[in-house]
Amino acid sequence: MGQWLERRLSAPPTTPATAARGPRPLAVAILVAVIAGAGAMPLFTSAYVLQLATDILTFAALAYGWNIISGCTGYLSFGQVSFFGIGAYATSVLVLRAGVPWYLAALIAAAFSGVVAALLGTVMLRLRGIMFALGMLGLARILVVVASDWNYIGAAGGLTLPAELTPIAVYLAMWVTVVGAFALNYFVLHSGWGLSVTGVRDEETAASAIGVPTARIKTAAFIMSALAPAAVGGLVAWNRSFIDPPSAFDPTLDLQVIVFALFGGIGTLWGPALGTLVLVIVGEQFWAYLPDLQLALYGVLVIAVVLAFPGGVVGIANRFGWLRRRPVLAPTTLPSVSRPPQPAPLGDETIIEVRDLTVRFGGLVALNGVSLSVRRGEMVSIIGANGAGKTTLFNAITGFVKPSEGGVFYQGKSVSDIPSYQRARQGIARTFQIPRLMESMTVWENTLLAARYGKRGGDAVEQAAWALHTVKLDALWLEPPSKLSPGQQRRLEMARALALDPTVILLDEVMAGMTRDEQGEIRAVLRHFRELGVAAVAGVEHVISAIADISDRMIVLDRGKKIAEGKPDAVLRDPLVIESYLGKVS
Amino acid sequence: MIVLQLVVNGVLLGGTYILLAQGLNLIFGVMGIVNIAHGAIITLAGLFTYWFVTETHLSPLLLIPPVFIVMLVVGGILQRLLLEPLAKLGRSRELLTLMVTFGLSYVLVETALNFFGSQYVSLPDLQTTWSVAGLAFNEALVAAGALGALISGGLYIWLRYTASGQALLATSQNPVGAVTCGIDVRRMRAIAFALGTALAATAGILLILILPLSAPTADTLTILSFVIVALGGLGDYRGAVMAALLLGLVQSGVGYYLGGDAEVVVPYLLLITFMVVRPQGIGHATR
Repeated sequence: MGQWLERRLSAPPTTPATAARGPRPLAVAILVAVIAGAGAMPLFTSAYVLQLATDILTFAALAYGWNIISGCTGYLSFGQVSFFGIGAYATSVLVLRAGVPWYLAALIAAAFSGVVAALLGTVMLRLRGIMFALGMLGLARILVVVASDWNYIGAAGGLTLPAELTPIAVYLAMWVTVVGAFALNYFVLHSGWGLSVTGVRDEETAASAIGVPTARIKTAAFIMSALAPAAVGGLVAWNRSFIDPPSAFDPTLDLQVIVFALFGGIGTLWGPALGTLVLVIVGEQFWAYLPDLQLALYGVLVIAVVLAFPGGVVGIANRFGWLRRRPVLAPTTLPSVSRPPQPAPLGDETIIEVRDLTVRFGGLVALNGVSLSVRRGEMVSIIGANGAGKTTLFNAITGFVKPSEGGVFYQGKSVSDIPSYQRARQGIARTFQIPRLMESMTVWENTLLAARYGKRGGDAVEQAAWALHTVKLDALWLEPPSKLSPGQQRRLEMARALALDPTVILLDEVMAGMTRDEQGEIRAVLRHFRELGVAAVAGVEHVISAIADISDRMIVLDRGKKIAEGKPDAVLRDPLVIESYLGKVS
Repeated sequence: MIVLQLVVNGVLLGGTYILLAQGLNLIFGVMGIVNIAHGAIITLAGLFTYWFVTETHLSPLLLIPPVFIVMLVVGGILQRLLLEPLAKLGRSRELLTLMVTFGLSYVLVETALNFFGSQYVSLPDLQTTWSVAGLAFNEALVAAGALGALISGGLYIWLRYTASGQALLATSQNPVGAVTCGIDVRRMRAIAFALGTALAATAGILLILILPLSAPTADTLTILSFVIVALGGLGDYRGAVMAALLLGLVQSGVGYYLGGDAEVVVPYLLLITFMVVRPQGIGHATR
């Protein structure tokens, strides 16, 4: 059953042949017609249908809000109802105590909810996924207690509001809210900025290494996800003319929203709308017969969807070629490059310097007082037996590991206070030992994401195209990384590094697992790194034969210490080096 | 004197909390997931105990052996049906498992609602108080705390000193390594989940003696257990013990000086403070 699930989850995200910039004109026309029709609906229908439609819009807006943080960013939230309640109370207080008109109050409440999300985010988004999910679950509980004791907002008795809204007004307000929430989702899933969100979801660490300011992106997504539920909360409070803590922070709202979004397709553009539409209408017919089993049936539905079709309705549609996501900012064909980067200037200053670097993990000393430098124009290979500390060295240089002692200097300045994503933006690019590629994005989008944060500024599309041409992945530009061979995946990692327009590239065992031909292709790129605009390259390697002849200098690490340095053929004959790899014959 | 009394109450409360947390810790340690239905299982067991005692007037402690065994079986079946299919997935496994247990939680809560209603219930038995050296020892607290500590200690001994327990510990520390030692990791996962749910049910039987429980508030127990486990460091058994005692003491003190509502908020505030100050928890294990 596990394999069956795996196959379902690995459906390709896009259609390889048809990338075009922007949405199809026919799709836009249909969308506009649907939105306009929905807006005009109150004029033609009965009160019952209007109420049902309002319910659908209400849950769709909530589902779209949840979708941003849980689906698109990958931080599952079991407590979005907290924002619903905050919005409800904020709106009510604004209207009752400050006489603000209700629609304005709802907007202000949404903005206030965004501020709360920003503050909460600084604490909660630092946590791992599980912690965040349960933290949000607990938040709703705390808020019930706080609201029950706070007299200004009515305490346990709640607030009663004058009945002012007509059903049509509620419907139109919800309609506006859904359109807004949908627009936010569109922005996250189809804009260049939104690529950062998907990158954070798929591979947060690698995203940091290509310049994505992950904390800021997560907080922005969290804020966006708080706006819709707050507005909905305000409108619902007005429609019911009453709020109190249990109804404002009702956890079954979360359950329903999650079921609808999951059923429709989590993290997709159409999933929340489809799921809500289908399940609210079906539910209407059902609940008359089984009023006592509603929660249980929703629970069963969640389990069934996760086990049988985790991609939801949209996932199933994708298998038939419908509703597939179009790659972000992809031109019809990959452009040829009119302005390649300038060759790197000559000189011999030190690009990267590591001084007396010591890194300890608990009792283990991974690096012990290592000093080395990488100068402009040279390619340095760093070799050593397993456990020598090579990857720890790279992690310290790129900011993923904090040195216990010693310092890292980039172009003469200390980088110890600079977070990893900024080091990437300033020109330190790296690849990973095990490729960390964003699986739900195409080759193109992986590269484009890095290009957006590159030093070059200007046109990220052209920079990404150039990077893909350089590593000869242009033919596969619209494939997902899962369809690439291991060698091709490493070339994609290189393309990502090149897309940053880096000053120095750190390659972590880039030759591992490659065939001779693939190694040859990488070697061809590395031989000409100066022409590609890169000032220096440092590579950690085990496949010494693949890099010895193209390296200017070789450094050997053994159990955290530097034991040799010099021209490759001299180093490889050094008895200390041979002993570190092969041991001593006594 | 008041302080000493609060300490006594806090320690005894902590003893019961230990039992709450160990079930969750076991599941997290071996399977890397948090069982969101944990609170629902505790509540269901507690409500069932209430019904049993009010119908038969027998001691609730009689329920512990049969419920433990039944939950072992039921937990194993649930794990095989609902969670094992997800074990093969890579990245999305964690989130999808959270979803499944989230759904399961609501199925259990609805069951509890239908059978036992939505009101808070608690057992009036075992409310006698013994007086020792001027300190009051509430019989229910003593029974729950002592049994909690006993079962927790037994679990610890089993994990550390028996071959089967060590196999479970090995799987939680390094699944791949465990496989190469010939350990059937699939079976370990099933055992861990079965044990975890059995411990949760036992905790529920003891908890109804001290606290009122209700079906709609089942997830607060999930959160409480999770707070203890997170405070102690996810997967760290000794840390969880320290965290349980800490929580018991702090709640006991806060409840006396600041009242019931403040007491409810204590776990979350403790958690947030620790997350900011010392994210790896009180214990020493890192994950």
